[in-house]
Amino acid sequence: MAAIRHESILGLDNIRLDLPVASVGSRSLAALLDYLILMALALGWILLIVIAIAPLLPAWVPVFAIVGWFLLEWGYFAGFEIATGGRTVGKMALALRVVTAEGGSPGTGALLSRNLVRSLDLLFGVPLMALDPLSRRLGDRLAGTLVVHDRGREAAPVLGRVPPGWGPRELAAVESFLARARTLEDTAGTWAMADRILDRIRRDAPELLAGVDARRDPVAALRQALQVEEG
Amino acid sequence: MDYARFVRLRRPVWDVFERRLAASRRRRRDEGYEELEEMALRYRQVLHDHALAASRFPGTAAAGRLRSLALEGTRRLTGEGRERRGGLLHFFLRTFPRAFQRQLGVTGLALALFLLASLWGLVLAAARPALGLTILGPQAVQGLAEGRLWTNSLVTTVPPALSSSGIATNNLSVALMAWSGGVLAGLVPLYVILLNGLMLGAIVGVTLHYSMAGELLEFISAHGPLEITLVLVSAAAGLSLGRALVAAGDRPRALAVRDAGREALAVLLGCLPWFVVLALVEVLVSPSPELPVVLKLTVGLALESLFLALALRPVPAEPNP
Repeated sequence: MAAIRHESILGLDNIRLDLPVASVGSRSLAALLDYLILMALALGWILLIVIAIAPLLPAWVPVFAIVGWFLLEWGYFAGFEIATGGRTVGKMALALRVVTAEGGSPGTGALLSRNLVRSLDLLFGVPLMALDPLSRRLGDRLAGTLVVHDRGREAAPVLGRVPPGWGPRELAAVESFLARARTLEDTAGTWAMADRILDRIRRDAPELLAGVDARRDPVAALRQALQVEEG
Repeated sequence: MDYARFVRLRRPVWDVFERRLAASRRRRRDEGYEELEEMALRYRQVLHDHALAASRFPGTAAAGRLRSLALEGTRRLTGEGRERRGGLLHFFLRTFPRAFQRQLGVTGLALALFLLASLWGLVLAAARPALGLTILGPQAVQGLAEGRLWTNSLVTTVPPALSSSGIATNNLSVALMAWSGGVLAGLVPLYVILLNGLMLGAIVGVTLHYSMAGELLEFISAHGPLEITLVLVSAAAGLSLGRALVAAGDRPRALAVRDAGREALAVLLGCLPWFVVLALVEVLVSPSPELPVVLKLTVGLALESLFLALALRPVPAEPNP
């Protein structure tokens, strides 16, 4: 899976804020899902009219069909986004959310505006999103919005002790390894990797291994040596 | 500061903020002033820590956690999600007239272009009567030759409910397309204005040729004035969007387009309900042979006056936030 792209903007007090911008691929996939749902809703509406309305009010069938389709066409995306704070069903499935260009929650006006130009974005949206670092389509530019990844955070191992001289790459690699170690099926390979990290600690800061028994479970020994906590 | 020390010292602040965010997610009512102030303080601290972690410890679990907290905090505490809501009455009595009056110049331009195009259509139709065949089709022209307007079929062959829903959704779609097409440098609203003007002028010209212009004007007297006004106002809102895009002035283009978009949206939303009223008038009043011309004209003028009175009513300037 491709890594999520983060674009830095200046937030409150001109402090850096990294936004996980959704790219053209995930946005197009979410839109495709939404259009499939829209089609299903339109079919469902027609079925409902045929089953429930046609026997009682046959003259009103075309009226319900015209008005229903108009409301679905112009209201599905805007209605969902307004009701759920910037998400449609497709966006929920792909964990995406609409935010303002500053990362805040968009108002009703902005959500309406970005969806009123959707028909034009069917023509121009994809190339515009592909060319823009913030992946904005016409509607986003008009409303001042962005679409970002909005995945819930899972607790991850955080190092409580660090050998001197270790940089962010080493820290991120060890934390990432410890997070994945629980799910790796290749125990021998996992232990070998933990041993290599322990060797590195032995070289850089042997005092961290005082009282740590690395012979039985190297992963547990690594967690003990670096005083790992979940957070 | 090393990573472990940074995490040890700052983690309690992150934990408190995370708990507050979780409580805020669960709670349906808005936070009180003190809760909000406390959250804002913690948010600032988290934002600072996020910036530090993103530059000093990128890719670490703490940086990931802080990014997630900063993002959710920003979304919950900033933005337009909690903008003032005055309800529909406030919108139609304040927001819409204010936005409408600010774009009066563009609306005037739209009206001038429409009148020019109508005149051109009228001249064209007078010079080439065969144009009617192209615009209206052979059946309608045959009807005109026999002294019948094609509009009679609106009520004689189609049930009124179907006609009015068709007319309303069609007019709404035209207005929405004219508005949204403004983002293409105003080209779509320009096309809508010119095409509608040309068609109206040409149709009046064709009916003049068959001595049926009086009947046509009678038919459109109840709904025509406001329908034309609404299409022009929606298209003018689209033109405002196009103007902001093409000539942003000394402001950043993105900001100019965003602000113009908000104002144009208020104008469009203020027009939309009138299209539904008009569709009913067009089906129930306009084609009715029993209703006298004076009554139809009165309905048309009353609707137009009501809309303009609402749109042009004096509104105090928006207070600075």
